[in-house]
Amino acid sequence: MVPVGVLSLARQIQRIGAGMGFSRRTFVKQGVAGGIGLLTFIVAGCEKKLTPAEARTAGVPFRTLEAAHVRTLDALGDVLLPGSAAAGLAHLIDHQLSGPPGDSMLMIKYLGLNPPFTDFYKGGLAGTESAAQMQFMKPFGELAPQDANTLVAAMAKGDLPGWSGPPPPLFFFVLRNDAVDATYGTPSGFERLSVPYMAHIAPPTRWGA
Amino acid sequence: MSLSTTLPEDAVDAIVVGSGAAGSALAALLAEGGKRVLILEAGPARSASDMVSSTLFARRLKWAGAPVIEEGKNPISHVFNSGYGVGGSAAHHYAVWPRLHEEDFEMHKRYQRGLDWPVSYKELAPYYDRVQREAGVSGDAEKEVWRPPGAPYPMPPVPVFPQGEAIARGFAKVGKKVAPLPLAINTTTYDGRTPCIWDGWCDAGCPIGALANPLAVHLPRAYAANATLVPDTTVTRVLTDASGTRATGVEVVSKDGTKRSLKAGLVVLAAFTVENPRLLLASANDKHPHGLGNSNDLVGRYVMTHLAGVVNGVFNEETRFYMGAFGGQLVNQDSYPKLTHTKNGAFGSYQWIIAQAVKPNDLLGISTSRADLFGADLHAFMKRASRGFATMTAVCEGLPLADNRVTLADKKDERGTPLARVTHNTHAESVALWEASVKEGKEIIEAAGAPEVWNNPPGSMHIMGGTVMGRTRADSVANSFGQLHDIPNLVLAGPGLFPTSGGVNPTFTVHAVTARSAEHLLADWNKIAA
Repeated sequence: MVPVGVLSLARQIQRIGAGMGFSRRTFVKQGVAGGIGLLTFIVAGCEKKLTPAEARTAGVPFRTLEAAHVRTLDALGDVLLPGSAAAGLAHLIDHQLSGPPGDSMLMIKYLGLNPPFTDFYKGGLAGTESAAQMQFMKPFGELAPQDANTLVAAMAKGDLPGWSGPPPPLFFFVLRNDAVDATYGTPSGFERLSVPYMAHIAPPTRWGA
Repeated sequence: MSLSTTLPEDAVDAIVVGSGAAGSALAALLAEGGKRVLILEAGPARSASDMVSSTLFARRLKWAGAPVIEEGKNPISHVFNSGYGVGGSAAHHYAVWPRLHEEDFEMHKRYQRGLDWPVSYKELAPYYDRVQREAGVSGDAEKEVWRPPGAPYPMPPVPVFPQGEAIARGFAKVGKKVAPLPLAINTTTYDGRTPCIWDGWCDAGCPIGALANPLAVHLPRAYAANATLVPDTTVTRVLTDASGTRATGVEVVSKDGTKRSLKAGLVVLAAFTVENPRLLLASANDKHPHGLGNSNDLVGRYVMTHLAGVVNGVFNEETRFYMGAFGGQLVNQDSYPKLTHTKNGAFGSYQWIIAQAVKPNDLLGISTSRADLFGADLHAFMKRASRGFATMTAVCEGLPLADNRVTLADKKDERGTPLARVTHNTHAESVALWEASVKEGKEIIEAAGAPEVWNNPPGSMHIMGGTVMGRTRADSVANSFGQLHDIPNLVLAGPGLFPTSGGVNPTFTVHAVTARSAEHLLADWNKIAA
């Protein structure tokens, strides 16, 4: 039962500094696919066990998120943690939002918000797009890397004109951690960091069932 | 008897609401005393095979019952700090089992702050000794120079890995001591349970029985003594007789929506710190119009948490931070005396639990410790920290305040029970204590040689109080055995009874208080529960 003031963390994020220069393209090019266990997806009426990355490659239909949400999520995920879109971030979130809230494996459940969490995600993604339009008159996914970076830094600080939806720093905190989960929260993610996984019981071949 | 999906038709001796640390222990002790015990668990059945080694799967062990509305500057982080399903919060607890100190029991008498316990350390010490012998605790009592009197630990201490060695270097450089952290985790085969393999997955639940959680220790004992546990069964009210002075049973709703009344000679509420007062308040009747046991408006008050002073560093050396127990490897209690940091406006105790096993992701993971980073900076940090990360946590005492409380909200859950609202603002002296702890912690990690040192913002851990025990109904809800002053065969169990939080993890004390209660209830059974 140890801690962490998640809301305090969200407040801390508001104090985030600028200067986040990074080579987003480099990370996307390198790719981080294959970093997650298998989930049960419905493909052509049949259950298939795929990683979120495989589900993305196979074009598995989304059950809760719409195409516009996914476009924003992919783009935002790759700013928050480059490579997380290819790691299947959108499919991971969609899969978890489509199941019973009590079984959710998303970190948002720790943050004092009441389920279901779909409106939180959809509201945050819509807020991201409205802020991009107001500041740059473009969809978020079409922003130049520096502009996308600037917008996300402002999201973290809560200083985002045009935003509507959940508190921007909280949305930043949640999405950022989802991206980390998709990328590093799995046996292969551990391996990429040279951290031994050492499972007592390895994550099963199906998630969320 | 064991897990069952069938509720009994006839009256039982005792109904225990909740299957966590307190509920499972009290159920086992009453059943071993010859009583017919029914344990009701709102959440699902769990077994060792559910304890999947994954930070994502671990989230399924956390609270998933009726939403709790959190208010105040310092929310209690209810979902993260509570469990759901068989084993309750203890199914994922980290088994850090230090004892409270003598002064924790006399806070008002000695310091004119907070509340006094209706029991002294001296009275509770034999129960600490008994519990550590039965459940198994590893440690080195001699090296714990701060430890109050008690029997030595039954198992040798936990091993120290490079993360612990690195941080210990810092404590030595600033002239402070460390000792092995007392853990209810096996370092040897104990009572037929296997020793730990130190892979740091305690938060996801221990599937090998090395950690003394309800699934490993008290529920098997309860089952062996013919107790029955029915999961997926939510208690919505406690029932009393016409006089309002005796509990007669509970109303329950099963998973399929079926409502039932169940009868018992004794009702135990062990549903944790928020649900216990919620149930008492929601059980109001004509004899108790403001809720059971609430004749003095004390039910729900004095909710406390510890503030976590988390300090981190990245060393140049390899720390193997993934090895060990999630609770840590070492302890320091040099700052336990209440007046240690008064010059900073602080009051209270804290201990350092040192070198927790850490995973890359999750709320207590490496990534979240730098919640300000994103993009390439985050990748770079993860790579750097994955070699030399180290962390330690100050468990800072939260002083009890009457206005920190559980009340009922207007909104109701799907069964018609009002939701709990929890308001929590940490006492200013406790916030100052947290500030003192992180200042000290950063000095220690820097002294240890880490070139990169930082702290997390304050966060709540361990939820206590809300149904405090005391000597009279004027200052408390229950007596030292957990019996409601107003309804003696309605018994509370768990950390909600704590009048003060101390600066140590609560589960060992929960077990000691519970063992003392069980002994009293069995000794006076005919008077209390007949």
